[in-house]
Amino acid sequence: MKMQNLILYSDPEKCLGCSICEFVCSATKEKSMNPLLSRIRVVNLEPAGSIAFACVQCNDTPCVKVCPRKALRQNEKNGVISVDKEKCSGCGWCIEACPFGAIAFNPNDKKAMICDLCDGNPECVKYCPFKALTFSSIEEITHGRRKDVFVKLLKELASREV
Amino acid sequence: MLGYMGKILRVNLTDKKITEDLIDPKIARKFIGGRGLGINILFNELKSGIDPLGPENKLIIATGVLTGIPIPGSARLIVMAKSPLTGIWGEAPAGGSFGQELKSAGYDSLVVEGKAAKPVYIWVREGETEIRDASNLWGKFTRDAQRDIEKDVNEDRAVVGCIGPAGENLVKYASVMFDFNHAAGRSGMGAVMGSKNLKGVAVRGTQRPRFANEERLIELSLQELANKGERARRGPYWPDGLEKYGSNADFIYWQLSGRLPTQNFRKCTFPGYKNLIAETVSETILIRTNTCPYCTIPCNRVVQANHPYKVDPDYGGPEYETTAALGSFCMNDNLAALAKANELCNKYAMDTISTGVSIAFAMECYEKGLLTRKDTDGLDLSWGNPDVLLQIIEKIATRQGIGNLLAEGVRAAADKIGGGAEEFAMHVKGQEIPMHEGRGKKGHGFSYTISNRGACHLQMESDDLFEETPYPEIGIDETTKAARLYAGPEKVKLVNIVNNLFILYDCLPICRWTVYPCGGKRLETLSEIVGAATGWDVTMGELMKVGERVCNLERAFNNREGITRKDDVLPRRLMEEPLPEGPYKGETLSKDVLDKMLDCWYDFHEWDKETGIPTGKKLRELELEDAAEEMEKYGATKKGHKKQTIS
Repeated sequence: MKMQNLILYSDPEKCLGCSICEFVCSATKEKSMNPLLSRIRVVNLEPAGSIAFACVQCNDTPCVKVCPRKALRQNEKNGVISVDKEKCSGCGWCIEACPFGAIAFNPNDKKAMICDLCDGNPECVKYCPFKALTFSSIEEITHGRRKDVFVKLLKELASREV
Repeated sequence: MLGYMGKILRVNLTDKKITEDLIDPKIARKFIGGRGLGINILFNELKSGIDPLGPENKLIIATGVLTGIPIPGSARLIVMAKSPLTGIWGEAPAGGSFGQELKSAGYDSLVVEGKAAKPVYIWVREGETEIRDASNLWGKFTRDAQRDIEKDVNEDRAVVGCIGPAGENLVKYASVMFDFNHAAGRSGMGAVMGSKNLKGVAVRGTQRPRFANEERLIELSLQELANKGERARRGPYWPDGLEKYGSNADFIYWQLSGRLPTQNFRKCTFPGYKNLIAETVSETILIRTNTCPYCTIPCNRVVQANHPYKVDPDYGGPEYETTAALGSFCMNDNLAALAKANELCNKYAMDTISTGVSIAFAMECYEKGLLTRKDTDGLDLSWGNPDVLLQIIEKIATRQGIGNLLAEGVRAAADKIGGGAEEFAMHVKGQEIPMHEGRGKKGHGFSYTISNRGACHLQMESDDLFEETPYPEIGIDETTKAARLYAGPEKVKLVNIVNNLFILYDCLPICRWTVYPCGGKRLETLSEIVGAATGWDVTMGELMKVGERVCNLERAFNNREGITRKDDVLPRRLMEEPLPEGPYKGETLSKDVLDKMLDCWYDFHEWDKETGIPTGKKLRELELEDAAEEMEKYGATKKGHKKQTIS
């Protein structure tokens, strides 16, 4: 299923840690400029590098399994995990369970927040100035990677003296 | 208080007292923040004549209303104090995430007073402040000190600004390094920190100001972020703009147009330029680029080299001023040595411009026989020797031998050497001249003389730029005669407008690369953003007035320290020795022309032509009543005759 699904991917080679995605997410989803209200979060380990994290729609969904109120549900088609705000008590078990730290806690309404891929058109991707964020299938992403490696190899070979 | 945290943190290192000042909303509107807030504090609180390296001096790190707002260029802070290099108003802006983190920690600004008994650092977390021991950090390079502070506070997201050994050794142009590779370079702010035994400041927080109209602010910010087409200057000489090459994109243009500062301003083109241009940097030592928070322009360079010098990428890479100052200005065409010099300046933490100009000064003194091998500890200070260049930088930072002399800046060093050495000291008011050729860009050259922190390239943009980008709404149109060699009243008018505008940019604060004339944002957008954040009904005119107000108050501060019209002058070389080659061959910026321009400038500003002090009338018009009264009294004592009172 996941091979065809489009996923939100942050390329650490291109990400410069500018945090624009955090702002765009909190603005789109919460009408706020507070990065704590963003569903995508940046890890900035400058000068070594940086990357952005959001829900990766994994298959074993520990967050869904652990929720005592059955407030979380995974969409079978696109893998998006939705939070039923009526049921969510803000206990934070899903946040603890997520191995990626991809679930945020809304300090205002005290509920969990998970990336919903903006109904298939993520706003953060549109605004990423360095094209580090992409929204594509695993097949496309890995193909891009393979191509990059091959191009590097070709260059390396061309510069060799025989 | 909307748009601000509303509080200034004061830390007195002598008695370890930590206090908070509430910001008066009226003062905020009058000065906006950053540089304005700083001069207001320093003018009111510093007595004239104090020792810049004594406990009476105050160090300010200030943000402004735009800091933290998610638009390109907003990640900015200003460090201010009385400068030990010039003895007047000192100021150094820097990028990086420190400014917004300071705000998130609960404060718009930090004021450090007094002097600690032993080395300390300041840790501000979510409104709680501690003064911590830094004895084991003293002597460490900036990166190591920063990492150690992060470990010590056990918070890897703490943002640190710190000094290196140069600041500790009171090198007069020591810098403060933020976030590893963002430098608050000029005016010796690092030495002021060193004199206070303050190794660094670490901040961390998650607070944010309340805004008057957050919805509108979001709209405007998204608009600015989406506005990528206009995001960086793409002139005829910057085909790929700042994104690809950073500020060094300019280097080739100044070389080809015969205005590249070379060999201590004796030449204006550099034979070895091809090794230093941005394309070469990209093809050889550049490993990645970097950016400040919320910025779409990755102008920050990260370079690495292994041969012939090993260069550590953690300290970033040389931008334009560094490339020219430690490259062509010292006749050094070795790129790896240049990158190494940049690394050394950043790890010891000292200003690359002043370092380069000081070394070029020493090289010329050596050539002319004013310095001999005996004075230089056996070093051969011939032009362009990369090994020697690197050795001198370390000597300056550690104040060994010849380094101890050069660490005082070129003005003081020339005084000490004597024998006409001041002929080779390229400075205005004690601050070394940056890498723009005033003889081939008269506006830029003129702005060196009137800039309040001494020679400074940030009070005016290159004249060339205004030929293509008029802005009639603020008075920059064909009547300001932007032509680069024109030096009449209209040019002074242009410098005046741009000076006020650029001071305003330091008050907001916002990075010059992202605003007119370099980037897309114009004053209309900025005033709308300020309005949405604060709820003020603020106009472009009001904002420009802030720039003028701050300019006048800084000038009054300088007057109190003894600055008069005779200090508004260029080194003799730029006034009398013509450019030797290229399209602008024969050009100078002569004393006569400068004097006429100064007359004009004083007329515009209503400054007293004899003493160079802003008139009481002008200061009152700018709502600076206290300063008006003080300066009227002060001016009367300077006049040499009794001032007539107008009833």
